[in-house]
Amino acid sequence: MQSDRARHFLRQGLFAILLGVVCAVPVMAAPIQLPPIVEPASQEHHVGKLIFVELVTPDLAAAKRFYAGLFGWTFRDIQAGGTEYAEAFLGGRPIAGLIHKNLPASERRQPAWLSFFAVGDVDAAKRVALQNGAKVLFEPHNIPDRGREAVFADPQGAVFAVLASSSGDPPDVLAAPGDWIWASLITSDPDTDAAFYQSLFGYEVFELPASEGAQHLLLASHDYARASINSLPANRPNAHPYWLNYVRVEDTVNMTAKVVALGGRVLVEPWTDRHGGKVAVVADPFGAPFGLLEWPDTESKEVAK
Amino acid sequence: MNILRLRRLALAFVVWTLTVLLPGCFFTGGGYGYDDGGGYYEPYGGDYGGWGSGYHVAPFRGGDHRSTSGGGHAYKSAPASHSTPSIPSQSRSGGGVGGHDGGK
Repeated sequence: MQSDRARHFLRQGLFAILLGVVCAVPVMAAPIQLPPIVEPASQEHHVGKLIFVELVTPDLAAAKRFYAGLFGWTFRDIQAGGTEYAEAFLGGRPIAGLIHKNLPASERRQPAWLSFFAVGDVDAAKRVALQNGAKVLFEPHNIPDRGREAVFADPQGAVFAVLASSSGDPPDVLAAPGDWIWASLITSDPDTDAAFYQSLFGYEVFELPASEGAQHLLLASHDYARASINSLPANRPNAHPYWLNYVRVEDTVNMTAKVVALGGRVLVEPWTDRHGGKVAVVADPFGAPFGLLEWPDTESKEVAK
Repeated sequence: MNILRLRRLALAFVVWTLTVLLPGCFFTGGGYGYDDGGGYYEPYGGDYGGWGSGYHVAPFRGGDHRSTSGGGHAYKSAPASHSTPSIPSQSRSGGGVGGHDGGK
């Protein structure tokens, strides 16, 4: 009698464990499902083009308030597998992703926007990257509806990602105010990095005028400028190389003031770049840096060649 | 089947569950920032300043602005016949300010 009761109890226990596992696995294992970056899907592909950016942030709600207040972005919340993700939209188009992740103060790390460059084959890109001195930070993996992506550190340590978008790449059009317009790599060895990214994306590399002892290069594909490479400033020899992405704004000075009013800070005060518009580097309230870049519709503001 | 065998069976099942299924749960479909196996933050104290006079980062609006570096680079320079390209100028609605202005 006692044996029967014990057996019954154990059967129930086993059933409960099995039920728990069966229920938990789909929830925990569900890969995050992110919207396509191009809707409706297109057949356009622009290898080497900056096609998306993502930010890992310790306070998703506050980050959304900051970027909504600054650029008028709207957000759609997505939850899967315990991940809180917010897709940012401008004019109905997805332009960025924000991911929540706790950041213990003891870790001494800070958020940063991650640049995603278009590739046709992520695994082939990984092979080329490794052959040319990169490190793989996150192995190639599929994101349903988004495509296949991987995250690397280039030979100097700057972090970037590649994405083979399953919905095609965004068209080559002028970014609207509030959208990402440009990317620059600030690095300790522009020469080597230019060769690296040329191997990876097939860029054409143009040398541009630079101050004594510095290098300034422009990377292009499909006859469009895609990014620039600059030497680290001579007075910042210990800075680590990094990619910086720029949002197009209509008035850099006003937007810089707005950044501060919303809790961010200014890292590089506005100054006039060669194209005639002002450029500034700012950080959101959690320290994630990004650039502000005026791009006048006409050349009337051009002041420097 | 006695109680001891049932207990062993239950224990084996629990161990198998923990060792085989759960790791797969945490690392399935994950990647950059999407799971508990990763996430990405830059090293603290990034130094983004120091951009003095003459430190330009933005693209040109087109035209030829190349410098003559003399070669000897790790990368292959674009052919001399190619002028410096710019970013796209056509707006999303199609009412742009000149279309493709990257020049070759």
